[in-house]
Amino acid sequence: MARPHIEPYVELDYPYKKFDLAGFKGSHYKVMSLDPDSGACTLKVRFDGGYKRKPGLSYSDVEIFVLNGTMKVGKETWVEGHYAFIPAGMATGAISVDQGAEVLLMFNDGEPTFAESGSNHQLALTEAYASLNSYEDRPWGPGNLVSPSVASGCMIKVLHYDPLTEALSFLYCMTPRFKQDNISYHDSAEEAYHIWGTSWMMQFGELPTGGYFWRPPYINHGSFRCKYGTIAFGRTDSVLFNYFHFNPWTNPDENKRRAAAAFYRRRPQLYNWVASDGHNHPHGPPDFEHPNYHDDPQVRLTHGKKVGKR
Amino acid sequence: MAKRVQDMRPARTKDAVAWLKENVAEQKKRYAAIVKEMDELAPEREKWVAEFLQIIQTYGFSVTGDVRRVIKPHEVPKKPKGLKHHQVIF
Repeated sequence: MARPHIEPYVELDYPYKKFDLAGFKGSHYKVMSLDPDSGACTLKVRFDGGYKRKPGLSYSDVEIFVLNGTMKVGKETWVEGHYAFIPAGMATGAISVDQGAEVLLMFNDGEPTFAESGSNHQLALTEAYASLNSYEDRPWGPGNLVSPSVASGCMIKVLHYDPLTEALSFLYCMTPRFKQDNISYHDSAEEAYHIWGTSWMMQFGELPTGGYFWRPPYINHGSFRCKYGTIAFGRTDSVLFNYFHFNPWTNPDENKRRAAAAFYRRRPQLYNWVASDGHNHPHGPPDFEHPNYHDDPQVRLTHGKKVGKR
Repeated sequence: MAKRVQDMRPARTKDAVAWLKENVAEQKKRYAAIVKEMDELAPEREKWVAEFLQIIQTYGFSVTGDVRRVIKPHEVPKKPKGLKHHQVIF
């Protein structure tokens, strides 16, 4: 089972809960979305003033986005807009929060885990580590990074890109009076949190500041409007491709079939090879460039396979 | 097979099992509340859909970027017969 369709969820209307798991004591959290089996989750976490944690690691890839406040993490100081991707097994320095901070905290492969450690796990893929201030260190780019493209007025800053799955983490914004008159769906799950601003979609109505969604693949969303502008943090779990159409009543199964039909038309040789008898590898075909990609936790999760021993 | 850190993680602690159980239960309630809220939006959504179908026939449908195409009346999709519930949460 994957995460359910949570859309819309306005977290500001709900209280924080005490976070009593090891490594998080002294903080509070709200669950935005949660995979019931793997425990992978997106949380909003409030580190109260005085929060401290020793150096350590998680057994999951972790992403963090600082919404407000200041955190010292090892030798770095993270302020609002800071984004980090911390690969599973990579040790981060001691954390201290003097005045309090609120963050989005994402565990991609399992429930929140923390093991005190001053050094990296021997299998940690540390080269994937990224740490930057998304507000200062990245320029806005046009949304036509992805084609077919969103309309002008929706811009994006890519913060993290997974070369195997093409999963993205990004900031996006919509200018005042943004509009896009189509219905969209994707092959990927999509997630977003409104840092500030309100936007509107034909299916779900308005998503205000503090609004969140986790949307599984192939679910219709749009058309789109944004009256006064919005800035948001977003992610996909695999490649972001925009399938646009104008039938408001299609369901995810019909949308998936339409996507497969597009695959049939656009990549006929590959489609025939994948679909033909004897080549339909349920575990994925060999890839000379990435011979071990089957073992990648993100790849396994997007195929509904187990990650970890449990 | 390449080993990954994720496969080396220790068994879930009792605290983690309890945490997961509690939050999965709460998420089920949250999901049900969202479904209810979205169902209650149905009358308003019907108006939005009607307006959208009008816009794509006049101002146009956004094909890609700022490229638009005016949809001809015979292309406009019809609400499926017998569809009582326009499901938007899956």
